Amino acid sequence: MIVANTLFTRLVRNSPYLLIALLVVPVAGGLLGVLLPAFSWLPALNETNFNLSGFSQLFSTPGIDKMVWLSFSTSLISTLLAFLITILILASYFNSPWLHRIQRLLGPILVIPHAAAAIAIGFLITPSGFLTRLFSPWLSGWDTPPDWLFPHDPMGISIIIGLTVKELPFLLLIALGVLAQPEIGKKLRAQHKVALSLGYCPMTAFFKVVLPNLYGYMRLPLLAVLAYSSASVEMPLILGPNTPPTLAVAIMQWFHDVDLSLRIKASAGAILQIGITVILLLTWKSLEVAIKKGSAAILVNGEREFGGMIIQRFTHLLTSIILSIIGLALVAMVLWSFAGFWSFPDLFPQQLVGQHWQTAIMQMQTPLWNTLLIAITSTFIAIALTLFALEAEQQNTKTISSISGFIIYLPLLIPSIAFLFGLVWVFEQVGSQHAYINVILAHLLFVLPYVFLSLANSYRLLDPRFGSVAASLGASPSKIFWQLKLPLLLGPILIAAALGLAISFSQYLPTLLAGAGRINTITTEAVTLANGASRRTSAVYALVQMLLPALFFLLAWAIPKCLYRARA
Amino acid sequence: MQLNNYYRQLTPVSCCISFCFVIMLSLSSNVFASATSAEADVAAKQNSPLWQAIEKRGANQSVYFHAWGGDAQINNYIQWVGDRVEALYNIDLNHVKLTDTAEAVSRVLAEKSANNHNNGQVDLVWINGANFDSMAKNGLLAPNWAGQLPNFVLTNPTNNPAMTRDFGVPTQGMEAPWGQAALTFYFDSLKVKNVPETLPELLAWTKQNPGRFTYPKPPEFLGMSFLKYALIILNESQPTDVKEQLYLPATAQSQALLLPKLWSFLDELHPNLWHSGKHFVSNGLALRRLMADTELQVSFTFSAAEIPSAISRYDLPDTTRTYRMKDGSLSNIHFVAIPYNSAHIDSAKLVANFLLSPEAQSKKQETAIWGDNSVLDLSQLTPSQQSLFEVAEKQHISATIINIDNTRLLSELHPSWVKVITDQWLIRYGVQ
Repeated sequence: MIVANTLFTRLVRNSPYLLIALLVVPVAGGLLGVLLPAFSWLPALNETNFNLSGFSQLFSTPGIDKMVWLSFSTSLISTLLAFLITILILASYFNSPWLHRIQRLLGPILVIPHAAAAIAIGFLITPSGFLTRLFSPWLSGWDTPPDWLFPHDPMGISIIIGLTVKELPFLLLIALGVLAQPEIGKKLRAQHKVALSLGYCPMTAFFKVVLPNLYGYMRLPLLAVLAYSSASVEMPLILGPNTPPTLAVAIMQWFHDVDLSLRIKASAGAILQIGITVILLLTWKSLEVAIKKGSAAILVNGEREFGGMIIQRFTHLLTSIILSIIGLALVAMVLWSFAGFWSFPDLFPQQLVGQHWQTAIMQMQTPLWNTLLIAITSTFIAIALTLFALEAEQQNTKTISSISGFIIYLPLLIPSIAFLFGLVWVFEQVGSQHAYINVILAHLLFVLPYVFLSLANSYRLLDPRFGSVAASLGASPSKIFWQLKLPLLLGPILIAAALGLAISFSQYLPTLLAGAGRINTITTEAVTLANGASRRTSAVYALVQMLLPALFFLLAWAIPKCLYRARA
Repeated sequence: MQLNNYYRQLTPVSCCISFCFVIMLSLSSNVFASATSAEADVAAKQNSPLWQAIEKRGANQSVYFHAWGGDAQINNYIQWVGDRVEALYNIDLNHVKLTDTAEAVSRVLAEKSANNHNNGQVDLVWINGANFDSMAKNGLLAPNWAGQLPNFVLTNPTNNPAMTRDFGVPTQGMEAPWGQAALTFYFDSLKVKNVPETLPELLAWTKQNPGRFTYPKPPEFLGMSFLKYALIILNESQPTDVKEQLYLPATAQSQALLLPKLWSFLDELHPNLWHSGKHFVSNGLALRRLMADTELQVSFTFSAAEIPSAISRYDLPDTTRTYRMKDGSLSNIHFVAIPYNSAHIDSAKLVANFLLSPEAQSKKQETAIWGDNSVLDLSQLTPSQQSLFEVAEKQHISATIINIDNTRLLSELHPSWVKVITDQWLIRYGVQ
């Protein structure tokens, strides 16, 4: 396609470079900022000789092997579980209206920040939590809380529960997103039908026909989930053990330790964390290869039925358990936010009061404005850049190279704990003092990939003939973009915007570090208070954290409906 | 996450007790000091060209005050300070709420490493103990300014050496005192009948009531304070020259003499702690939450004033009572410091001076506001200033601390012990 050389087209042409630079420069700079201290180069402490003392300190830390194992096992098991449950749900409800009902029930979990989800699950499974109250004292005989080790169990089972429940809706959404794409979805459904007519039971047909095709589209999101969970801080901090904690939590504590020389060990730890994440990704890849090899024969052996009914019943049970965990956690949180005194083993508080909400709302105003300002700005930039980059792709009539495609996921694949501390150093080096700009840039690292992920397919699948017809009628590229493509894509754009906002709302470490602690958002306040003494106040903040993104998703869903109704 | 700044102070029960305390303090420290001479000193310093210049340069600017922000009462007090300094000097005070004071330490360090030597983002920081020691050692604090503050005279530093020593380390004018705190225990009077009032009694009580007591994992400040308290009490019977080494930098020899008693005590205590001593809470405030959940029945805090206010918010049962251990209560002073590269060094001094004013100190001491004990020597104040401290309040019974009169205050150990205890604790109990 020949494209006129206007300001718009130049802007569009250069946008992919800007997008890549915005992602690569901070990540690379941040990595450099931990790589140097990891090898003992930290002029502020008068350490200017490169050596390996950081690593030798790291490996002589008591329990370092347990920390590494805990990080490795919790993330691998939780990702595997979330993935397994996702495909079980897909397989069991593939052509049933329940699939979308379940998605709608789980959907809100997707937008809940990890910290809030961890707080909610903690409320449920602590010894004095909602779960034991349900059965006490009439069944268990406990009139004081049992002294069991949940949460904070040394095996990290609580972390695994938390991560699985949190990642499941994300994977399900990705899978349903793939199936919702007209071409792929239609093809897979048609193939599924063919398999059914060949006498395969629905479950077997899903595993043999749909899954092998579907998996390819889920690989990258799966790897992102794996990488994220190996290095996340909020869940292990709130639900995990601390004798010893996971490696990521330990790194954060070393970075924050009063003993400044620990920063060298922390940087070495960050490098080790990257190593763990890489090994995890490779482990996943080799599991993938092994399963592919192992199952090749089964795929074509003609067997029509693999105990589909049992698997289906098991899935029903599993789904109901997960939904009740989520439901109970939410009920417990709402109750805590209104609770007067609530002693064990009472199932309900002695009185319900509104004072926790009142006090919290009074204190919440500045953080709320900060949250909205940062989220809206970073999402707006992300949407604009993504749209321009995708438009550039269409004007050049080729999709961006696979390397660039990979780079977009870079901030999701590299453990953020490894580059964020370095990023603060980079901001210092370039003398960037404006906290809001720093925070918005840091948020952009996480908002951009998700917005791109969410918008790319819809944009690429937009029928090119609309554009061609408009162009042949003499419309300029900018007119086609603004007046044709954007209105057609309003729905997906609003959903991507809501997702971007939700991602920005949930950022804890980037806000804290890039903002020099000067900028409080709902999430930083919630995590500070989660460590605080009042379950009631932290319940209020966690609920606000949930309501905020939910509100914007509701808007994203309602606005197109109203507009189209108005037009009709 | 450790909350190093979690030291706030004791509520004087009533004006009567606070007066007794103050009178004792002033008797012991400076019998002959006259309020009028202190007043003259303050006035002289206030009118000195040096302070006049500071007032001139410091007014009409912003101050970023990095202070632990996990407590609504303290946050509201700092907000009030902000309103006052705005009225006095048109200073815009921004409270940067930290979850851990070490965050501010690392920020200043990052700035130093980036050669940002005069435009730092931290103007004033709430600090003491190991954080102070660490910043001082690395040259991260502005020196010799505390003596410039006119109100510093009111702490009577010449006769009150505690005002110029932070955990035994000389402050060299790098810090101005702000308040003082002592370790206070609390329990649910409905559940606990025989309250453990000494360290050996606590050990015996945990054996009868397994799983109902714990302490935060070191190096968390409150947990470390419990270990220090135990270390001091367990070594009571040692010769004086051995005990004295707790207040000096830890050496291999003094460790070998003093620490074994602590470890054998903990070996005996841990199996009967909450979660059988296999998991320790990460921060001090979690103790209060576990008390509210009735998972714990006896716990401790540095902020006794927080207990009645938590009861009023339903965060603790109405039957909670506070007390001090009969064998001693660990006590310390907390300070504010100015980083060497603060962008608003003069404005920060004005704020630090206001924090030391009788107005700010008396407000801080009110139980309903914060309940943090004043660092001023009341004998140095004029009668009208003294009257600010006379507050009669109707309080919840838990505001009355049992044993407050018949227990001694234990001094903080030398900061070097923190690292020594933490490292060995982590090796012994950190991996389970």
